[in-house]
Amino acid sequence: MNSRDELAARLDACQKCNVCTAQCPVAKVNPHFLGPKGLGPDMERFRMGQIILGETTLDDCSNCKTCELTCPSGVKITEMILGARRAASQGPHKNTLGAKLRLRGYVLGRAEYLGKLGVIWPTMANQVLKIKLVRLALDKALSISANGPLPAYGKPLAVRVDKEARNGTSTSKQVVYFPGCYTRYNEGDTGRILIQVLEHIGYKTIVPDFHCCGLPLEANGQFEKAHKNGLYNLELMRPYLEAGMPIITSCTSCGLTLKEEYPKLQATAVGLIGAQSYDLFEFLWQLYELGELPLDFQEVQASYGYHPPCHLKAQRIGTPALRILRLIPGVKIRNLDAGCCGLSGSYGFKAEKYDKAMKIGSALFEAIKVGAGHGDFQSMTTECGVCKVQILHGTGLPTEHPVHILAKAYGLIN
Amino acid sequence: MWDAIVVGGGLAGWIAGIRAAHRGKKVLIVAEGVGTLFYFSGIFDYGDVERLRHIPKHPYTLFKAQAIAQGKHFVQELCPEYVEKVKPQSAFTVLGTVRQGDLMPCSMALPDRQEQGEFVLLVPEGLKDFFPEIVAANMAREFPGWQVSVKRMQVDALGEWTRLGKSVSSIDYAFIWRSEEGQRALAHEIEEIKRQYQEAGRSQEKIVVVLPSLVKEYFDASRTKSYRFEFALPVLEMSSFVPSPHGRYFAEYLKHRFTDLGGELMIGARALSLNAESTSQSPAKACQEIIVQSLGKSLRLKGKKFILATGGLLGGGIKVGMERKSIREGVFDLPLFVPKEWSELQFFGPQPFAQIGVETDEFMRPLDPASGQVVWDNVHVVGRMLAHWDPWTQRCGGGVSVTSGYAAAELI
Repeated sequence: MNSRDELAARLDACQKCNVCTAQCPVAKVNPHFLGPKGLGPDMERFRMGQIILGETTLDDCSNCKTCELTCPSGVKITEMILGARRAASQGPHKNTLGAKLRLRGYVLGRAEYLGKLGVIWPTMANQVLKIKLVRLALDKALSISANGPLPAYGKPLAVRVDKEARNGTSTSKQVVYFPGCYTRYNEGDTGRILIQVLEHIGYKTIVPDFHCCGLPLEANGQFEKAHKNGLYNLELMRPYLEAGMPIITSCTSCGLTLKEEYPKLQATAVGLIGAQSYDLFEFLWQLYELGELPLDFQEVQASYGYHPPCHLKAQRIGTPALRILRLIPGVKIRNLDAGCCGLSGSYGFKAEKYDKAMKIGSALFEAIKVGAGHGDFQSMTTECGVCKVQILHGTGLPTEHPVHILAKAYGLIN
Repeated sequence: MWDAIVVGGGLAGWIAGIRAAHRGKKVLIVAEGVGTLFYFSGIFDYGDVERLRHIPKHPYTLFKAQAIAQGKHFVQELCPEYVEKVKPQSAFTVLGTVRQGDLMPCSMALPDRQEQGEFVLLVPEGLKDFFPEIVAANMAREFPGWQVSVKRMQVDALGEWTRLGKSVSSIDYAFIWRSEEGQRALAHEIEEIKRQYQEAGRSQEKIVVVLPSLVKEYFDASRTKSYRFEFALPVLEMSSFVPSPHGRYFAEYLKHRFTDLGGELMIGARALSLNAESTSQSPAKACQEIIVQSLGKSLRLKGKKFILATGGLLGGGIKVGMERKSIREGVFDLPLFVPKEWSELQFFGPQPFAQIGVETDEFMRPLDPASGQVVWDNVHVVGRMLAHWDPWTQRCGGGVSVTSGYAAAELI
């Protein structure tokens, strides 16, 4: 940590300028929410005096990280809020969530177990989740909104392990892919296409049997389980990291967790994980800069609106997918950059937050509807799985991961 | 490899980025936070350009009059509502006092003080940091021939805020006014005001509604959505407390203009340092790449040209250590001009520390103050980072930023 970071981590760096609150998607729609400045640096002073806030005040934060990106002084606002949530979950009983919301946190945090259940018989799971009565029951029993766009399940992405790579004896170029629960259980096709693309550009892909990255667990107050998952995944990555292999993510929230949370864990490989984790397009751009990315693109006559997910911005790497896609002849793409979609992981699935999540996303939905209405683009593309679900829910426009467009250009899919 | 990498997302950085992208260049803007535009009033100050161009070393001396005019025209191309008049224009501040400005949206420009009429100050319920009594008193003092009345209004969408007694920021109100629901509510309210004046038999008088937190200009993420804002009476915008809605919508608008031209924004990333090799022919070095801190790793970004637009002391581009023991430009470690005495007793007078910055040649390339030699061949310094000017007493902050940003983009 350099001196600037230390300063920023300290709450004294907050000048109370309120720009974070002005940009906060939640504060705009929810007057009960104190806002990032209020809940982060302001309340931090009280927390330092051992006043522990209730969890319910804190969990209005959707953890989108917009405040941290916005802050001109580099204050770690969401980190403070998450820390306070952790403290509150262990605090005196009167401050903690009721049994129902605690159970909901348990369920929504476990995208992985839900995924494992869902993919046993995807059509069955999808049909059941479409039944109104089931959704009403979920709403009543767990406060999971009956209107929220719960994602469908599909054929899961298979694990691919390579013993040679783990021993460091492999000769071919290899990468490790961290697919994340959404790609693995809800959208296996995107994972399989991504592996095809990597193969096409000369990389063999290893997919170890990772657990959930931990972000949905943290967002739902399951801090211990998140911590355990992190340690488990890091141990699984360790031989590959030590062999110098890149870890590729296609989900921007998994990528954020690998880069931001894993380096804080106490494990042997933590020194490597930050620098060796790449968003897929960040990795491809690096190859392009080295002149190693095959440019055998076919023309793709299509125009897209692009939605940069909050957790991509939070990785502070710009929009590498746009850089790559704009190399493809025929592709037209507009970066809408219209703010958070509102779903923010599992936030918008929650009964009391559904309406607010839809309001948060309204600027994005409007930008999409107006743009598509003018014929500026025909479909949408974004990296984040749940942003896609929310965009479809809010606009009805088909949305795909940008790797699909790249795979079309390489002639790997139609 | 980018044609240009702009470090800093304030006014000068955005203008440089947009103009360069406009010229077909591949441009990346690296910005740590949202930048100081969130404190922008909506008004550009150019100052007394002719007088300032005669002050030795003032940034205006680096440019021909034509270059200054070109930058100004570029702003007007970007923002067609910014109409320049022969006489300087004035606008209401958030306190109801009057301030002059050189370029402002036409919906902000005040009517003639010699005329007679009535201002209806429309006060949205719970607007944060807004004090109607003070504002109305100031307006009455500034416009002796005018009457001032105050009318309050509520918006259904913010009912929950009102019920809680929670104040609403001007940014949130600006958002409401730009929604269909808000426009309807406003149109209805103004229609009602007009009707009351008609009933009182005063329909011949000049009535101007003044509404804090209204921003009519700049398209937003939808790009093409038009804001009609057709009201029964003329409506004046005024500037706001920070964070400012004009600044926010202007910043968003510049971002969309920039990315629509193919430019890329890397937000949240801090530029740390640079890599360069010196050429034997000249003492000036050429920068090859800058090192930028992303999450978990540092990125090496290669560019042909680099534009330093990180602001000065206030913007964070210049860091001062405790007790002024160190002072440093944060990215390129450029030599700085620092006056012997930093401050003077008269608080609102010209303060020497305002002059701190980087000295440059006519191409805005940084100079070593000791030797007078160019330090970097392909680095251009713009905006507040330039030395020898004072935006507060010379009132030329917008002018210097726009002019230098535009001129730097012409050199890409």
